[in-house]
Amino acid sequence: MLKFILRRIMMMIPQLLILSILVFALAKAMPGDALTGQLAQSPKMDANTLMEMREKLGLNDPVHIQYVRWVKNLLHGDLGLSYIHQQPVTDLLSGRLANTLLLSACVLLLTYLIAIPLGLVSGRWQDSWADKLIVGYSYVSFATPLFIFALVMLFVFGFKLGWFPTGGSVDIQVEKGTLDYYINKFYHLLLPALSGALIGTVGIIQYLRSEIIDTKVKDFVKTARAKGIPESKIYSHHILRNSFLPIAAFLGYEITGLIGGSIFLESIYSYPGLGQLFLQSIMQRDYSVVTALVMISGLATLIGTLLSDIILSAVDPRIRIE
Amino acid sequence: MKKRYGKLLSLLVGFSILLAACTNSTTSSDGKNSKNTQTTQKETIGNFPMAVKNDGKIVDGVLTYGLVYDTPFEGTLNYAFYQGQPDVEILHFFDESLFHVNGDYEITNDGAATYELSDDKKTITIKIKDNVNWHDGEPVKAEDLEYAYLVIGHKDYTGVRYGDALIQDIVGMDEYHAGKAANISGIKVIDNKTLSITYKHANPSILTGIWAYPLPKHYLKDIPIKQMAQSDKIRKNPIGFGPFKVKKIVPGESVELVRNDDYYGGKPNLKGVIVKVVNPKVVLQALKKGEIDVAQFPTDQYVSAKGTKNIQFVGNIELAYNYIGFKLGHWDAEKQENVMDNPKFQNKKLRQAMAYAIDNQAVADKLYHGLRFPATTLIPPSFPGYHDENAKGYSYNPEKAKKLLDEAGYKDKDGDGLREDPDGKKFTINFLSMSGGDIAEPLAKFYIQCWKEVGLNVQLVDGRLAEFNSFYDMVEKDDPKVDIFAAAWGTGTDVDPYGLYGRNVMFNYSRWVNEKNDELLEKGHSEQAFDKQYRKGIYNQWQELMNEEVPVIPTLYRSQIFAVNNRVKNFTADIDPFNWKWKEVGVTAEKPETE
Repeated sequence: MLKFILRRIMMMIPQLLILSILVFALAKAMPGDALTGQLAQSPKMDANTLMEMREKLGLNDPVHIQYVRWVKNLLHGDLGLSYIHQQPVTDLLSGRLANTLLLSACVLLLTYLIAIPLGLVSGRWQDSWADKLIVGYSYVSFATPLFIFALVMLFVFGFKLGWFPTGGSVDIQVEKGTLDYYINKFYHLLLPALSGALIGTVGIIQYLRSEIIDTKVKDFVKTARAKGIPESKIYSHHILRNSFLPIAAFLGYEITGLIGGSIFLESIYSYPGLGQLFLQSIMQRDYSVVTALVMISGLATLIGTLLSDIILSAVDPRIRIE
Repeated sequence: MKKRYGKLLSLLVGFSILLAACTNSTTSSDGKNSKNTQTTQKETIGNFPMAVKNDGKIVDGVLTYGLVYDTPFEGTLNYAFYQGQPDVEILHFFDESLFHVNGDYEITNDGAATYELSDDKKTITIKIKDNVNWHDGEPVKAEDLEYAYLVIGHKDYTGVRYGDALIQDIVGMDEYHAGKAANISGIKVIDNKTLSITYKHANPSILTGIWAYPLPKHYLKDIPIKQMAQSDKIRKNPIGFGPFKVKKIVPGESVELVRNDDYYGGKPNLKGVIVKVVNPKVVLQALKKGEIDVAQFPTDQYVSAKGTKNIQFVGNIELAYNYIGFKLGHWDAEKQENVMDNPKFQNKKLRQAMAYAIDNQAVADKLYHGLRFPATTLIPPSFPGYHDENAKGYSYNPEKAKKLLDEAGYKDKDGDGLREDPDGKKFTINFLSMSGGDIAEPLAKFYIQCWKEVGLNVQLVDGRLAEFNSFYDMVEKDDPKVDIFAAAWGTGTDVDPYGLYGRNVMFNYSRWVNEKNDELLEKGHSEQAFDKQYRKGIYNQWQELMNEEVPVIPTLYRSQIFAVNNRVKNFTADIDPFNWKWKEVGVTAEKPETE
């Protein structure tokens, strides 16, 4: 097992290297740079100063020199400076990362909390009206675009009913560090997280449902039933355990998604996170931020897949990695 | 960077109405499509009041100001360093220029400092008033303003303000910027509160464009200039000398400000201000619910917002205009000069015809509900002292366009309904237009349709709209694929158009050069032009010249509107650039009105 993990980690190095070349080349291939058109709204700028600034930012160097410089800094843990935010990328990311992690973790948690009971009910009482309702819901949610659903949720629960705050991650007037602060933060988190969770359940519901349906006609279940074990015990002991396998494997990937953030949720709820930052940085050609974000999510993906392999082998004795 | 979704339907509807309108207006005799044109109602910015109406008595309250953006604010809270628009909206509350300005944006002696010009108009002496203090209690000193110039001019400076021609025109600035001098010889601190700045040229733009934002030297001096923009003293605990003090910042989301009792202009009416980011999609709801009191309101949502009971709208004309430019040459970076060497549009009549062919009134009324209106000159009416009201510009006249094209030799020789060039070759015009917003696509298609009506074959570059960066990349580098392009300029408060149309400026994107133009622009910022009448005369001539030569077609002027809760008093639409007026703004109820 240890050997396997080590080998996987060794394999990450060339993977990341290739990723870094790709990312850098693609980022540079985008037309324009951070200074392009920036001054369209304030024409107080002369060509010389513009040239000087490009020089200062190293944008005039050949691409391979820029790449080597970037990788060198990267290895020193220096992600560079965001031109648009006038701030080191690490500072910028760490601020946003906390928000994004919190939001995504909350979405994930709520998704599982909603999806697992529904999947269980729907699998156990297959073809009942409850099952039909749940399956119906999962299809509708699958077909609903997040940016519309989040807006509708915000209008109904935020503005019309007034149950939730309508934007931001925390009220500015509460004192940092107090209990109120954390409650307030959670309160702000709830509606965006619910919006994300309510329409993100389809995968888990369907997986769980079909696994249960498959498992409940398997021989060992029949045997258990023949032995006279109560139905509820059959479900909790025999069927569920087996049915959770694919869900567990799923979890590793889900963790990867944690840092991706959601452009729509963040934008609609004015919630400063990484998803929005990524989009904004691409639009404004803030290279250092774009490359840093892709590298980080690349790394997270690699780790996530590794994790899901480990989880899988831990929960399923039939899978043993050599 | 505003993205809008889920409005495809209204976009399509708007598009079809427009297409109908353009073909309509040429064949309108039977008027059978007239019902189409009535579906959208027209506004005009003239109907908007400048100030809100509120006769109530001011109470001690906190106002919430909405930053209407779909991205977090960057948080570089300093005039010398900021880049993003949201940042400057926050800055207005707690820091300001040393000078107030009048209706033509010229500095006056009513603000935190007074000025005097020397006889040769090259030296300005600035005296900061005694009661002007930073938020930490330190007085604002002459050396603070000098320090601002020392930072901006420094080679390690990371912002964009050094590009300002007036800053570079200061005596000794070049030497300082090159690192050859420790100080700027043209800036002299005379005493604690007085300093003088000497320029190489006498230029009336000093009065509209002088950099008068001091930096608190005592507060910032220990930070290396390279790291200033990222320091906590600018991002977390910024200070200024404006009517409010920053109390707390939640990065990217909101800022809490409290009254500065020590404000030199007197005690502000509001106890505090909360500034927070609101997504443009929900701004109307937030206003209706009273979650925000004031916000610059997206004009494209105005039609559905008007009539809302708990808010008032105020508005004025933006310091900006939209235009369509012709690519007439290229930028010679070596010589720092525009070279007019592209033969395609050298014929003035062709350019004039294209200007007559487009129906900007229809665009303004149908696509912008009247909240943009046809532009007549390159100096927008937001410069009341310089905008030539008598200029007619190019109103829609397809017959005249056709006549001009005939005269210029662009005739349809093969009978396909499209004109060929004077040599009889196919004549295709490549039009670069920017994506973004719902209106971009129908707008570009509308213009193309209008030109087709007069027999010109206009195609979008690469067959589609260009994204912001690609757009400016192609325009800046004079991509040969581009013949004409639709863009916009924000003018800032300095009327001088040299920075956009001069022979030696890169932003003269049409690359048009002309001796008369050189002469007028030179005169417009000469010593003589300190005489306002003279300057107005020169700029009238310039506006006329530009309308005659049409290197760019001015297309639309723009309005900006603010939505303001009924409890707010003394708010006016010209709060930017007159941002010291925040001191007067107050509220007449503890809680915002809700619908």
